[in-house]
Amino acid sequence: MPSKRFEVTILTRFCKGCGLCVEFCEQGKLYIEKKPNRRGVQTAAVRPDVDCTGCLQCATMCPDAAVEIWRVEAAASAAGAQQD
Amino acid sequence: MGAEQAEGETLLISGNVAAGEAAIRAGCKFYAGYPITPQNELTAFMADQLPLRGGIFIQAESELAAINMVYGASAGGARAMTSSSSPGVSLKQEGISYIAGSEIPAVIINVQRGGPGLGNISPAQADYYQTTRGGGHGDYRCIALAPATVQEVCDLTYLAFDLADAYRVPVIILSDGLLGQMMEQARFDHLPPPDPPPKPWALTGESGRERNLVRSFRLSPDELEELNLKLQANYAKIEENEVRCELTGPDQADVLLVAYGTSGRICRQVVERPLRKLPFKVALFRPITLWPFPSRELAELAEKASGILVVEMSAGQMVDDVRLAVEGRCPVELLGRVGGQVPTALEITERLEALFA
Repeated sequence: MPSKRFEVTILTRFCKGCGLCVEFCEQGKLYIEKKPNRRGVQTAAVRPDVDCTGCLQCATMCPDAAVEIWRVEAAASAAGAQQD
Repeated sequence: MGAEQAEGETLLISGNVAAGEAAIRAGCKFYAGYPITPQNELTAFMADQLPLRGGIFIQAESELAAINMVYGASAGGARAMTSSSSPGVSLKQEGISYIAGSEIPAVIINVQRGGPGLGNISPAQADYYQTTRGGGHGDYRCIALAPATVQEVCDLTYLAFDLADAYRVPVIILSDGLLGQMMEQARFDHLPPPDPPPKPWALTGESGRERNLVRSFRLSPDELEELNLKLQANYAKIEENEVRCELTGPDQADVLLVAYGTSGRICRQVVERPLRKLPFKVALFRPITLWPFPSRELAELAEKASGILVVEMSAGQMVDDVRLAVEGRCPVELLGRVGGQVPTALEITERLEALFA
């Protein structure tokens, strides 16, 4: 099994749950949370079991610059799936 | 910004930023907005400061989304605000109607720019009709406040939250691109800590009380009539109690200038530091509440005046309310500049001479 090449981080303090990233991801890696956060927003979230191809569509489309894509080096990446 | 001030200390600050600072000091806990020139400094200030001072900021996907977010946040009991400039405020009109019909407080700042349509980013006063005549559908009113200095932007933004909560109405602050951008000295240390009234109607989670419902929908005509009559009675109270205006210049003036906001401050110069001696006494009557309009006060002054010149950065909108108040007691003329042009003190002086000398 190929090792994970890319990590996706959603900056939830900027995310307004518009869903554009979900719409544009061709891998189905992103979804919208059912439960609103403290700002009242159902933010985007990441499915850990899906591989990101690093196409950057999600990050490109996000109007709020709330998506980060990290390349995974041989050593484990420090990026988490959601960051407040 | 946001730091403690020494007693009596003034800040050199722009109108847009002053509005943001005053809003936060008034207890604003939610702001949703969208970028548009010439009010971006206000949105950017709220994005920066509000989360640091106990509030929530959301950059909405449109001005329409923003006003609906304000509707929701206010229905939840928070002091909530949005801001935009003319075309963006057009987008908010449906939402404002819903807020008014649901008896929910809200503060909306319109930093006016040239129109109609995309227009330009220069200051204008062509949203008077939209602000005072509804703008949105249905029989409703918004309290409309018109600052003419950065200090007034501060003071009236603070006041807007108290009025909105006291009467459960939308309050619109009618600023413009000049006021928003200009920098003047202003104080904030006279603003008392916010003291919002209890909101037993708010949607705060149901435990321990009867269910609350926020809505403007009343399917039965009897019920909708009842709501409308209640709203009208509320507006009558506001008209009785909340008129604000200012007279500058000699008592017993022969000629009155009537102007608000930026036009008002230019007219104040004409009265207080005249460019040349005029053969008549001229005073400035400056409405500060555009709704409720100070009709009674203006009518009294019109009794003794031989003429009125209304100065507006529009094709003439407030002039209608002036004519209604004056009811033919004296002639009412208009000096209107359109397209984002700002009248000069010289222009106004020359028009006064041509009309009344």
